[in-house]
Amino acid sequence: MSSTEELLRTEGLTKIFPGVVAVDNVDFDVRVGEIHALVGENGAGKSTLIKILGGVYLPDGGKILLDGREVAFSSTHQSQVSKISVIFQEFNLVPDLTIAENIFIGREPKTAFGTLIDFRRMNAKAAEILAILDMPLNVKSFVADISVAERQMVEIAKALSHESRLIVMDEPTATLTEKEVRKIFEIVRNLRARGVSIIYISHRLEEAFELADRITVMRDGRKVGTRLISETKKNDIIEMMVGKVVKDYFAPRTAGANVGEPLLEVRGYSVADGVEDISFTLYKGEILALAGVLGSGVDRLLQSLFGAIPKKGGEILFEGRSVTIEHPRDAIRLGIGYVTEDRKGAGILPAMSVLHNLTIIKLRALTFLRWLFIRDREETRQFEAIRAMLDIKISGPGQRIIYLSGGNQQKVLIGRTLIGDCKVLILLEPTRGIDVGAKAEIHRMLRELADKGLSVILTSSELPELVNLPDRCIVLYKGRMAAEFSRETMDSEKIVAAQIGQSTGGNGEPG
Amino acid sequence: MIRFLKLYERFGIFIFIFIGAVFLSFATPNFLKLDTILNIIAQGSYAALVGYGMTLAITSGGFDLSVESSMGLASVVLAILIPVAGIPLAILGGVVAATCVGVLNGLIIAKLKVNPLITTLGMATIIKGVALLITSGKMIVIKQREFLAIGTGKILGIPNPIYIMVAFFVIFYFVVYRSSFGRHVAAVGSNESAARISGVNVDAVKIGVYALVALTAGLASVMRTSQALIGMPSMASGFVLVVLTVTILGGTSLTGGRANLWGTMLASIFIAMIYYGLNLINLQIFYQMLAVGIVLMLALFIEGLRLRFLKAAKAKGIKV
Repeated sequence: MSSTEELLRTEGLTKIFPGVVAVDNVDFDVRVGEIHALVGENGAGKSTLIKILGGVYLPDGGKILLDGREVAFSSTHQSQVSKISVIFQEFNLVPDLTIAENIFIGREPKTAFGTLIDFRRMNAKAAEILAILDMPLNVKSFVADISVAERQMVEIAKALSHESRLIVMDEPTATLTEKEVRKIFEIVRNLRARGVSIIYISHRLEEAFELADRITVMRDGRKVGTRLISETKKNDIIEMMVGKVVKDYFAPRTAGANVGEPLLEVRGYSVADGVEDISFTLYKGEILALAGVLGSGVDRLLQSLFGAIPKKGGEILFEGRSVTIEHPRDAIRLGIGYVTEDRKGAGILPAMSVLHNLTIIKLRALTFLRWLFIRDREETRQFEAIRAMLDIKISGPGQRIIYLSGGNQQKVLIGRTLIGDCKVLILLEPTRGIDVGAKAEIHRMLRELADKGLSVILTSSELPELVNLPDRCIVLYKGRMAAEFSRETMDSEKIVAAQIGQSTGGNGEPG
Repeated sequence: MIRFLKLYERFGIFIFIFIGAVFLSFATPNFLKLDTILNIIAQGSYAALVGYGMTLAITSGGFDLSVESSMGLASVVLAILIPVAGIPLAILGGVVAATCVGVLNGLIIAKLKVNPLITTLGMATIIKGVALLITSGKMIVIKQREFLAIGTGKILGIPNPIYIMVAFFVIFYFVVYRSSFGRHVAAVGSNESAARISGVNVDAVKIGVYALVALTAGLASVMRTSQALIGMPSMASGFVLVVLTVTILGGTSLTGGRANLWGTMLASIFIAMIYYGLNLINLQIFYQMLAVGIVLMLALFIEGLRLRFLKAAKAKGIKV
């Protein structure tokens, strides 16, 4: 466990950007060998704070003390020399180099004459570091070929090779599966045991509580407080984060709101490479979760239902009629909407405005004679209706979407499906990378939409989202249906067990 | 700096034109005459016309390096058809021939997923070969002198090419900014996978884009062929670079998704001014190539600078 010896302290740290005080007079400290969670909603100042520690920004006021001595970092290199490593969400790795080359980039071991890189020695040293952390990686693999979790490990190994005493991790688990998260946790604890201090930023409170020794909450650039994990409750932290009491983190299920008639029936459905014989019925106004870890086939099944990848066999009935969905356009025409888990890569249109992002799906219908001119007024009217309904916060319809927060971008993507008269909404990781406040808002919103008759199929790697939000949960394991849970039988332990192949049946065998 | 760059994005090309105009009006007593100005604009109209097409291509995240060859093909087809089919049908034939090249480009890029740069570069060579084969490498003299009027005539004292440049500006303005096709083009250029799952028919959009680029090349070829009264299989050497220069200088983002049609038209006029100025001081035609190259580099440099500053601004959390 952590000592009380102090490694780093900031006093009155302040950073001002035009129009906003990003970090406001923050006194913060990290002890030797502790895991210190740093939480707060988007824009709370966490990122700016760690960028100051990482030498990306110079503070406008206050000081940083390392081992009691005042230090100043004007570059990432200086911060590294002081044994501080910051692992940003966008990794600093070169995809076309191997793991070993990435770890030793810029300080590769040289051969006798100092001219050539001594690959053998470099690979051996890299393997040594990976072994210390018990990372199952081949040092000769190219970074381009490894998973996000493995890249995270490489970043940690790189930090360790610098003999870092403080490693800052910015949402290391945001895009990882539960299993990968376990591995990262193990490594982080291993680091702590070696006396390394960790600042751990996360949107997932559960993680902070499981992993950290102390937790610091930031809000609006200020530090709200630091608590010992052992002496605090999640609700207290959420209260500190949002500044007001959030009674129920999740949207309550509407009592007695009974689901309607069958809307989408999937019969004996299979997809190449890992989805076999899936059958389920989605009812009107129902929120259905399809759960499964990486490799369970949930993602492929949902992509195929939307027509993004071809099916191998089986049948889809929509409103009782048998339909063919070979292309996203077919699905959209039927009224099936899809919101990707990869918001940046396949969701938003970054060069375009919020308005254009939202209406793109319905443009043809908004165009005079389908081909001629877009009817601006009608477009703006329909946009405004959706914007108001989902409470999307923008400075104007012409604002570029990349300048919105993650939560608002997600709302735009949901709005995009709604403007397309969507009856079935397929949502992958609905709240990935979104702060707590916006998360609760999106959950509430989904429940409201379902109460109005929208059917939702969602999948999530966050357990609470699987257990608390949906009306029903079907678990897939290795491409087949493993268990089904209704509201009454929903149980987090059983869902996790089914996901890792330890099915206890749920409602018995799924049918 | 950010504000400056934003202003530049919108009005930068005016600054270039203004400086060029001031310079030329000192250098030559004739510059400020209406005829001279109209002549310069008419000279710029070809680059503008094909530039509209190129603006679409770059907005869609692509490129078209085959415009010169399409022009050559159109010119040859036109010259062969005039004696047998008459002028209107010959013009149609030439434009259709060019457009077919574009459709082929689009099909290869969309269906076979070949990189646009490679596709159109390869197509450029193939079509140039085809055009040369058709004429056995010779030029075809057009004897129908009335065809001359299309490219050299004037209506109300204004050269015909200017009408065409303006008319197609209006058409493309609506296509790019006001039609669902134009919006779809920008969506494809902005994020292809996102466009696809938003129901955009990405393949059709790409085929449409390259067909339109080739269509503009065909039209430009008709005007040029008319002025020379010769069907030329290898027409307009170096023209593709001029077209790229005016499109990029005009402010259309090379990263896709954002078109600047005004910029393209005005940048074409600016390039024509440079040509005019170089002619005035009796510099050889080779210097024109030099000048275009330098302006292209400059435009790319400014574009790069702009992107860097926008990125820096975003990193600092400044709303742009």
